Amino acid sequence: MNNFKIFQCENSIDGIFTAIYQAWSSGYGHANVKIEEQCERNNYNNIELFSEYIFVKTNLEQAIMVSRSIKSKISLEAYEMVCRVALSDYKGKGDLIYRFLILGFHIGSKIVGHLSNKVVNQVFMLNRYVNGEAHHLLGFIRFSEQENGILTATIHPKNNVISLVTPHFADRLPNERFVIFDKNRDICSLHLPGKPWIIAEFPDMDSSGYDIPVDNEYESLWKIFFDNIAIKERVNPKLQRNNLPIRFRKDMTEFEYV
Amino acid sequence: MIIQEGMSIQRKLEILSDAAKFDVACTSSGVDRKGNGAGIGNSLACGICHTFSADGRCISLLKILFTNECIFDCKYCINRSSNDVVRASFTPEEVCELTMEFYRRNYIEGLFLSSGIMVSPNHTMELILDALRMLREEHHFNGYIHCKAIPGTDPVLVEAIGWYADRMSANLELPTASSLKQLAPHKSRKNILKPMRQIQLRRESNNEYLGIYDGRQPAGNKVESLLLKDDNSGRSDSVYNKVINSYNQKPHKANDYPIDKKENDFDVDLPNSNKIIPYRKSPTGRSRYVPAGQSTQMIIGATNESDYNIMSVSETLYDNFDLKRVFYSAFVNVNDDSNLPSTVSGPPLLREHRLYQADWLLRFYGFKMTELLNEKNPNFNVLLDPKCDWALKNLEQFPVEVNKASYYTLLRVPGIGVNSARRITAARKSAVLDFKDLKAMGIVLKRAVYFITCNGRMMYPIKLNEDFITRELLAVKDRLPFGIEKDITYKQLSLFDDRRFQTDDRLILQQFSHA
Ligand code: SF4
Repeated sequence: MNNFKIFQCENSIDGIFTAIYQAWSSGYGHANVKIEEQCERNNYNNIELFSEYIFVKTNLEQAIMVSRSIKSKISLEAYEMVCRVALSDYKGKGDLIYRFLILGFHIGSKIVGHLSNKVVNQVFMLNRYVNGEAHHLLGFIRFSEQENGILTATIHPKNNVISLVTPHFADRLPNERFVIFDKNRDICSLHLPGKPWIIAEFPDMDSSGYDIPVDNEYESLWKIFFDNIAIKERVNPKLQRNNLPIRFRKDMTEFEYV
Repeated sequence: MIIQEGMSIQRKLEILSDAAKFDVACTSSGVDRKGNGAGIGNSLACGICHTFSADGRCISLLKILFTNECIFDCKYCINRSSNDVVRASFTPEEVCELTMEFYRRNYIEGLFLSSGIMVSPNHTMELILDALRMLREEHHFNGYIHCKAIPGTDPVLVEAIGWYADRMSANLELPTASSLKQLAPHKSRKNILKPMRQIQLRRESNNEYLGIYDGRQPAGNKVESLLLKDDNSGRSDSVYNKVINSYNQKPHKANDYPIDKKENDFDVDLPNSNKIIPYRKSPTGRSRYVPAGQSTQMIIGATNESDYNIMSVSETLYDNFDLKRVFYSAFVNVNDDSNLPSTVSGPPLLREHRLYQADWLLRFYGFKMTELLNEKNPNFNVLLDPKCDWALKNLEQFPVEVNKASYYTLLRVPGIGVNSARRITAARKSAVLDFKDLKAMGIVLKRAVYFITCNGRMMYPIKLNEDFITRELLAVKDRLPFGIEKDITYKQLSLFDDRRFQTDDRLILQQFSHA
């Protein structure tokens, strides 16, 4: 039985980077440390009896130092890849990033091509997974117009992609006030015309008022379009399900049936 | 003709989206455009699917007809003049309203406006031009617009519309001029190819003017146009005119390619240059003419052309008309016309699928059409995808060494696609790859094992024997889109039999039944 020093940190990019900073500089040696992010999916059933748990308090300065060294010693591309891994719902992502960085600082910018390496490949696959969900949502997000003209959308993404999708809408809808709620994480992004968009937490905020559809006219026009554009002779629910997984549908106007 | 007065927008949308559904092209791809910070909209080159309809197809654009009134009588079309269907027309204002309100709510990437022909091609295209102009200039819509070029439209209108649209398409409808004449008596090959050539030439001159090269332009022209680009602010008339003149005098690139006249009846008289003098500045303030290029569509299975006929046409269109996409639409006999093939047992989806696979091989895999089909062997294999089929006929080119083969050689290996080939070429820079590495990289080896070596060794010691590999490949299930498998009933197979099962394929079938 191995005695690990387990650095437990917040489930965020900054939290993971802080833990990496502290584990790296702890002097225990890479083989003896582990990073473990706290996430909803961790039920702590597998607490390792003989390991020592070290609680890491997120420290912005240390986190920034880590991101700076990734950018300068590896590459911007590697930095972005690591961030997307940190946004994923993969359990053990903190430790994966740590292992990836050990290789990266050793090999440099070429690391991203080392796809036959298990760690690098895992990072690569997670990037595709996170990017894939973000790209899906660029299309699947549905806004409803509230009485006050604000556009609101609700999403339930597996990965924490709100910061990846919001810039697209800020660019596309510069004159709109819009809010995107991530109901799985109780966070939302807000955009006002002429201002930079922000992400806010709303653990106690009651957003239920926003669920009431105010927007009937164009929503029903959209449903009419959606139903009529399908070719009856080619109806194919399996293909439809494969292209548009069921889990997205609860937030999509055209799949709401009363 | 039934025309209802004062029809609601709901009812119009119902009729005019239903009437547009057979147009396949619904992609919003081909142009990257950031938001301009003022209006509404941007565009991503990769395209975005917003939802998938019950038939499993991507919905990206608000795909509607401007009107389903039509003075033409194309046999395959529900809107043909001889049909007694309810007719409706949008106003340009209604088209704008739907596009804008759908776009804000993120239902769509933009608009795909097609139309029946009301009064005349020019009358219809003028209304469409109005709608597009209003969208771009009054509503400051900066999203994607795909617009149909109706055959027989005046070139001046085509010229104007191209400044507002991202993509335009003139549908070829049928692979040969004779079947077109037969089924669409009011259309002619020439009328369809004319706007296509006009748009092609116009795009080339626009790209040249802007100094944009997509690899098709002769390098010699670069210098002059780049100068022009740098000289953006004080563009001197003489330099500008020089370019225009040289453009008009130059024998045109598009005609440098030999056209296979016998096969394709593309020998209609098409202009070498569009005589229209390009606007100095675009009248719309937009700088690019049809930036996402052109596409077209052919109906598959309404007439008896072979896959070879169809693919020859596609290749010609890609090579000589610079098309971005050719779409294939499995024929559905909507009019229950007894002169046309019946589709009660389902449209020819498998055939459509094979054509898309082959089209892909032409566009991204470096294949030539003649490698896949020829006059003796004019149809695709029902049981194997075109690449497997090709590989089996060319076993002497295999196996290839994963650590050495060029990117394009890797692409020819069954089971290795663009993603896998890219990953392999990236990974082998830093390590010598073995089969277990390929597996770890997520590369599917089921088909590929018979065609590759790693460090000179094959995964299993197999002899490259055609029969054996054929059987193994048939055992790996063809990744057909869902729902196609169940469509190949025995009845259909026997229908295919005379035309589609050539000697080779019969052999395969026999092996199949022995197994
Ligand atoms: S021109 Fe032909 S294909 Fe087009 S709407 Fe009219 S009848 Fe249909």
